[in-house]
Amino acid sequence: MRRMPELRTDQQSAWADEESPLPPDSWGRASSPRRALPWGFALVIVLLVVGRFTLTPYLTAPALQTWATIFVAICVQALPFLVFGVALSAAITAFVPASFWTKALPRSPAAAVPVAGVAGAVLPGCECASVPVASGLMSRGVTPAAALAFLLASPAINPVVLIATAVAFPGQPLMVLARFGASLVVAVLVGWLWLRFGRSEWLRIPARPPGDGPKWVQFGEAMRHDLLHAGGFLIVGGLAAATLNVTVPREWLTAIAEVPWLAILVMALLAVLLSICSEADAFVAASMTAFSPTAKLAFLVVGPMVDLKLIALQIGTFGKAFAFRFVPLTFTLAVLVSALTGWLLL
Amino acid sequence: MVAAVNRVTQNLVLTLLGCAVLRISAFSTTYLNYVKPGFRPFLIGAGAVLVILGVAGLLQASRSKESPAGDEAHGRDHAPEKPAHAGATGEHAHDHATGEHAREHGDGQERHAHGHAHGGPRVAWLMCLPVFAIFLVAPPALGSFAAARDDTPPPREEVLSAFTPLSGDGPVDMQIGEFIGRAWDDEKKSLTGREVRLTGFVVPAKKKGQWYVTRMQIACCAADAFPLKVAVKDLPAPPADTWVEVTGTWIPQDFGKMPNGVVYPQMAGKSLTRIEAPDEPYE
Repeated sequence: MRRMPELRTDQQSAWADEESPLPPDSWGRASSPRRALPWGFALVIVLLVVGRFTLTPYLTAPALQTWATIFVAICVQALPFLVFGVALSAAITAFVPASFWTKALPRSPAAAVPVAGVAGAVLPGCECASVPVASGLMSRGVTPAAALAFLLASPAINPVVLIATAVAFPGQPLMVLARFGASLVVAVLVGWLWLRFGRSEWLRIPARPPGDGPKWVQFGEAMRHDLLHAGGFLIVGGLAAATLNVTVPREWLTAIAEVPWLAILVMALLAVLLSICSEADAFVAASMTAFSPTAKLAFLVVGPMVDLKLIALQIGTFGKAFAFRFVPLTFTLAVLVSALTGWLLL
Repeated sequence: MVAAVNRVTQNLVLTLLGCAVLRISAFSTTYLNYVKPGFRPFLIGAGAVLVILGVAGLLQASRSKESPAGDEAHGRDHAPEKPAHAGATGEHAHDHATGEHAREHGDGQERHAHGHAHGGPRVAWLMCLPVFAIFLVAPPALGSFAAARDDTPPPREEVLSAFTPLSGDGPVDMQIGEFIGRAWDDEKKSLTGREVRLTGFVVPAKKKGQWYVTRMQIACCAADAFPLKVAVKDLPAPPADTWVEVTGTWIPQDFGKMPNGVVYPQMAGKSLTRIEAPDEPYE
C-alpha cells in the first residue's frame, strides 16, 4: 500500500519497513498525554469501581438479574461470531484484491445473485458474522444485490446450521430440506428484487479506513472500524431482545397456536423478537410442540434473516434508509415462501 | 467531547470489553451461566482478539500523537483509494470518491468531517454496557424466576431413543431431562420402583404439597433456555432457588390421552440434601 514517507517520523518508518508484528518498545512510553485525554473512559472506570461497592448489593431483583443474564448471554454468545465475521471481512478488504470478485462472480448481476446465495453455504457462522462479511464484499466492489443474497442465505444454509436442524428434528429430514430450500429461495428473490427496484442512494456502502501501512496494519484498522460500528448495534439488539424475552409471557403464544395462519405469523414475529442465534434456533423451534411444522419452518426461515439484533446491525452498517426497506421486504417474502414450502413439503 | 469516540477511547473500550470477556471465560467459570461449556475456546479467542486490537491500537494512537500531522494525513488518504472499487461494478456508481466519505462513518458523524477519519460512532459506547452488566449486576444463572415464567414443552409423542435398562443397586444419579424422557417415553417403564437422585434448584409450585426440582436446558445460550421440571411430593419445600439433591421414586401417571396444559412427571421424595450451586448450572 501507499506509504507517506514525508509525514512519518523515523519511528514510524521503522515500523513500516521492518514489518515486524509488534511495534518497538519505545512507542507508547515517550508519548505525552497532552492530547485526546479519554475523559469519557475514565468516567466509565470510576463508575465501574464505585458501582461495584455501592450499587451491586442492591441490584438483586430477580427480574433484573434474569434480564441481565439473558442480555449478557446474547452478547457473549454473539461476540465470537461477530469477531470472526469482522476478521473475515477485514481479510477480504486487506488481502483479497477487488479483481478477484469480478472474476469469481458472473459478470451479469442477475446471475451473480443466485451464485452468491449458494456461496453462503460455505460461511460456517451465524447471522452476526454475515453482516460484516457482506459489507466487506460490497466495499470490495461486489454487486450489492449479490452481497445481500449472501447475507441472507449464509446464516441459514451453512452446514453447521443444517446439521443442528437435523439434530433438533430427528427423523424429519424434510424439515432440513425445507429450511435449506425456502431460505435460499428467499435470499435469491430478495437479491433480484433489490437489483430491479433498489436504489443505490438507499444503501450506504460502508467506507473503510484505507490504511496506509503494511497489510496487517490495514487488517487491524478494518477490524477495529467494523467492530466499533457493528459491536454497538449488536448491543442495541441484545438489549431489545433480552427485554422482550423477559417481558412477553410465552403462554400468550401457545394460545394462538390453534389458528394455522396466525400461528405462522406469530412464529415469524417470535423469531424476530427472540433473536436467537441461527445455530440454536432449531432447538427452540423443536421445543414449541404446540405449533404446526409450517409455523416452525417460518420461525427457522425468518430468524436468521430478520431479527432485532440483525436489524440493529444492518442499520449500523448500511444505514436506516436501507434497513427500513430491506427488513419488511425480507420478512414478507420469508413468511410467504415458508408458508408455501410448508404447504408443499411438510 | 461526548460526540465522537476518540481514537484512544475506542481502543480502551475494545480492551475493556476484551478483558471482561476473558475475565468470565479464561479466568473463571462464570461463562457457564450464559453459554454452553464448548463455547469457552471461542470466547477466549474473541476476548484475546479484542484485547490485542485495543492494545495495538493504543500503541498506534500514541505514535500518531507524536506526529500531529498524522490524523489529517489519514483523512486525505481516503480519496485516492475510492475509484478502485467504485469503478469495479458500476452498480453503486453514485460518487463517493471525494470528500463525501465522511458521511459514511456512521450516524451522527456527519458533522465531523475531517480529522475524524478514525472517530468511532457514538454507539460504540454501548459496548461498555455488557461490561457494566458483568461487573455490577454479576448476572447469575437463570433461576426460579425464569423457570416459573416458562413451561416445559409437553412430552414428545415419538419415542426418542431406546433407553438402556437401569443397572446397579441404590439410587441412580440421573439428569432431569433423562428422568422426564424415561417417565414419558420409555415403553419398558424402566423407572418403575427405582430410586433416583436428581440435582437441580427449587421452584415453588402453585399446587399444594409439591414443588419442582428444576434444571434449565440451553441449546446455545441462556436466551433459549427452557426449564425441565419434576414435581416432588412428600417432602417439605425448601426456599426457592436452593440447589438440592433429591432422592425418590417415580410416581407413574396414566392418562388415557394427554391432558391439556403442561404436566410434569412426579416423584415421591425420600430424602433431600442441600448442595452448592454447580459450576455448570444448565443441562
